[in-house]
Amino acid sequence: MKKGLKSIAIKFVIICLVVIEIYPLFWMLTASLKQQSEWTSKPAYALNSGFYIQNYIQAWTRGNMNIFFKNSFICTVVSLFFIVLFTVTVSFAVTKMRWKLGEFVGKYFEFGIMIPVATALIPLFQIYSGMGLLNSRLCLIITYTAFGLSLSILLTTGYLRSFPDEIMEAAVIDGCGIYKLVWYVVVPLMKNAIVTVLVLQFFFKWNDLIFSMTFISDQKLKTVQTGLLYFQNEFGAKNWGAIFASVSMCVIPMLILYMILNKRIIEGMTAGAVKG
Amino acid sequence: MKKVLENKTAIAIFVLPALVIYSVIVILPVIWSLYYSFYSGSPGLKWEFIGFDNFLRLFGDSNFKASLAVNLKYISIVMLGQVGMGLLLALMFYFWLKRFKNVIRTLVFFPVVLPTVAVGQLFQKIYEIQPNYGLLNSLLNALGLTGLIQPWIGQASTALGSLCVMDIWVAMGFYAVIFYGALLDIPGDVIEAAKIDGAGGLQLFRYILAPLLRAMIITCLIFSFSGTVKMFESATALTNGGPGAATRSLSMYMYNVSFTYNKVGYGSVVALFIFMLCVLGSSIIRKFDIKE
Amino acid sequence: MKRKVLAGILSATMMTALLTGCGNKQTSDAGGQTEAKTESAVKTESAAKTESAGGTEAAGGTDSVKPSAAEDPKLTKNMKILSIWAEDNDNGVLIKALCEKYQKEVNPNFTWDYEVVSSDNLRQKVATLVASNDLPDMFVYESGKPIVDLIEAGKLVNVSQVLKDFNCEDALNPSAVSLLKSLSGTDDIYDLPLGMNVEGFWYNKALFEQAGCQVPKTWDEFEAVLSKLKDAGIQPIACGAADKWGATRLLNAYLVRIAGPDVMAKADEGISKYTDKDYVKAAQKMQDWANAGYFGEGVNTVDMNTAGSMLMTGQAAIFYNGSWFTSNLNDASQNLAGEDGIGFFNVPVVDPYVSDQNSYSMNCGNILSFSQKNYDEATGWFMKYFAENMGDLAMEQQGSVKGYNYTVSAEGASGYTKMVLDTINNAESAFTWFEATMDNEVQNVAKDGIQTLLTGELSAEDYMKSIQEAWDMSQ
Repeated sequence: MKKGLKSIAIKFVIICLVVIEIYPLFWMLTASLKQQSEWTSKPAYALNSGFYIQNYIQAWTRGNMNIFFKNSFICTVVSLFFIVLFTVTVSFAVTKMRWKLGEFVGKYFEFGIMIPVATALIPLFQIYSGMGLLNSRLCLIITYTAFGLSLSILLTTGYLRSFPDEIMEAAVIDGCGIYKLVWYVVVPLMKNAIVTVLVLQFFFKWNDLIFSMTFISDQKLKTVQTGLLYFQNEFGAKNWGAIFASVSMCVIPMLILYMILNKRIIEGMTAGAVKG
Repeated sequence: MKKVLENKTAIAIFVLPALVIYSVIVILPVIWSLYYSFYSGSPGLKWEFIGFDNFLRLFGDSNFKASLAVNLKYISIVMLGQVGMGLLLALMFYFWLKRFKNVIRTLVFFPVVLPTVAVGQLFQKIYEIQPNYGLLNSLLNALGLTGLIQPWIGQASTALGSLCVMDIWVAMGFYAVIFYGALLDIPGDVIEAAKIDGAGGLQLFRYILAPLLRAMIITCLIFSFSGTVKMFESATALTNGGPGAATRSLSMYMYNVSFTYNKVGYGSVVALFIFMLCVLGSSIIRKFDIKE
Repeated sequence: MKRKVLAGILSATMMTALLTGCGNKQTSDAGGQTEAKTESAVKTESAAKTESAGGTEAAGGTDSVKPSAAEDPKLTKNMKILSIWAEDNDNGVLIKALCEKYQKEVNPNFTWDYEVVSSDNLRQKVATLVASNDLPDMFVYESGKPIVDLIEAGKLVNVSQVLKDFNCEDALNPSAVSLLKSLSGTDDIYDLPLGMNVEGFWYNKALFEQAGCQVPKTWDEFEAVLSKLKDAGIQPIACGAADKWGATRLLNAYLVRIAGPDVMAKADEGISKYTDKDYVKAAQKMQDWANAGYFGEGVNTVDMNTAGSMLMTGQAAIFYNGSWFTSNLNDASQNLAGEDGIGFFNVPVVDPYVSDQNSYSMNCGNILSFSQKNYDEATGWFMKYFAENMGDLAMEQQGSVKGYNYTVSAEGASGYTKMVLDTINNAESAFTWFEATMDNEVQNVAKDGIQTLLTGELSAEDYMKSIQEAWDMSQ
């Protein structure tokens, strides 16, 4: 009897927690389909009374969302490629290879997570301005890559340290060179860690606001987040439905991507990519 | 083996490109701002060398102190909240959840992937009071708890708390998944043995799980700490530092000083302070690791 | 490369000129004579101006910024424009239409890039652009202190001079010009207006009728109206305190009526203190109103847009805002109160000898500035066209007054637009907004504090004390 009661209580707690995590998102989706008049006539928690797709059309057509999506996508994917490439090589070099400065260089990279992003804005702006890179996707890609390294290297070095040397030794005895060793032995074994890095960095880069706002002034090169901000100003309080539609449009691709990769991500994270 | 791992060319190829980009884009600006900190005004506007004046100014600046206080409160609440809730969730998954483990784990991770601007807008609407009650207030109203209805982000007393709730909500799933992974690494028989020895829930946690999870907890604390010290985007999106200066963090103050007051020099000093705080805090947390 | 170096040296000399100027200013300050202070500040301005004008000539390689022909020589120019409005919104529509017209009718070699930043980020954007000496040809900015900083650094084109050179000084409305001059504290203007606004209280006529209220003329009547509305179960005032200026304007309105139009300037010059009786009294008034529930619940979470729509949808009876609000009122989908449902009255008078009924809070809204570094003859011709055509265009397209003379008649305009035009014509004198004279830091303290003042978490004395402290610090 007591046990049954306990399990019901447990279920209740778990359901509550899940609801707390999920309900706001569900609410956002329903809100994006509401007509403006529903906001005043009904309580906020009411479901949408119809499917007012107009909000999405308005948000999409008025704000060049397709261009923003393309830009975000290019900048994110290219910088992710470099982040992963550099992360694997650097973290391998500082944990497994033997050289005097190895540990120091590792620390030097990890140091970066302490740096407040806003400090770098004006100096970076001047650097890019001097190199004539302002207002290009390239400057965003470089910035994203550089600022993505610290955290990624921190994550993967932890993983690599717990990685047994024996496998590598066996490969080397079989006559494997250093590059082959990394590509055929280390990378496959780091798959989970790499996926974790990819996903986390994807979210960070996709969600970046401050850099794209500062470095990009051309309307054709802006990213989704700046577009979102633009909606907020453009529609103000008069059109909550359209604002929520634009927010949902930014969120939905993330959710779909997450759904597809979900198993990998959770595996990567739980497999202990983040080892102390 | 040794020879392969001592290959200097390979090391150079592996490390140099990243090192150059990282040094120029991340480290150089910090040094640059150290140089800025000796100047008044901002480049192009009233730009003069003033020695250590900016540093001295920091000590008498009541706005700076207020932001520091807000930031420290925020760090302590959110850091403990994120890591604590994450741990709790993970323990629940591990011990209580029989079915739907994967589904629930997936769902709980959801908010992590959302853009901060979107989360801010969402919560603005949740906490809304005027002209219409937002989600929270209308729920309280429906439950008959009218006494609790209040402008959650419109008054200094509740604004910071509301902000913390939002940030804990966003990140707790992330920590839950990490801790869950760590729990899976603990050999099942250790826990079984303890249970057979008659260890209750709390004892089990105190004597078996806590020591085994210690390293992970500390990593998560550092991770959360370095995020919360830089508190900027979520507060900008939700309250924009208001009401008054109730949710204005150090980073936001720095941003204001640099760009609204046009005092990049002084802003750099605040930035350097944040940096120092971050280094100091992380090393204090690390101390716990070494003790035992 | 050579040019760059040259420009660098020139800007260095400019800086020196400026610094010596600043020195002067401080000495006269120490003397305690405000008259002398203003004078020497103006002198500094002109010194910097001549220097910077010389700088452009050399750096730009053009012989003269003066027009080379009597008619537009159709010079090739790609104009970079930084704005805070999308091209299909507000002033963005006008700027775009004007550029298109100029390209089509006058100069086919003229092209432009239009960039939008959100108004919250305008300052940050301009700060980074200034730091890297990259200001766009034409950009939207804020009048008052922000622009003064740029003028002092020699970053902006002297618009008065250009208008004189291109012989179109009379295109601008003289009162707009004098307003701009007083806001930047200079003898010349360094910006073009994008509005000619009058501020005051908008009220919902139906709600006034419902509660049996008349439009108040005196402050006592105003207070009576507020309490009557409250008793009738109507929220008296919608105040957008989330956009902090929505609340400080109210404070300013009362303060000016009890202490005169120059009250804020006096405090800024150090003649009076922000902690003096009247200032505290005005702050106390705001807190009293908030405590009485006149602003409804959670005033700090309401932004100006929401507050405006509350007025138009009948959720609140009174709303303080500027005449730019007519663009919302003219939009039938937003304005549920209809074409004649909203009225306007000036800030009620406390004592006509201190500040009278025909004195309005006025401003030029956001303004347009031009980068000195990029200035060339083509820009000059464009500015001429802009100044000469903006008035008509704005009147035709939006029925709004932008601070330029216009030739088309306002007959076809909506009732709201006419109401504003009449009001502007009636205005005999003007006063500026609360933060107009304040340094950035003082301004931030004033804006931040107003929110906690309204929630009662900061007392009126402490609020004014914090402003005074910030002012002391900035000296």
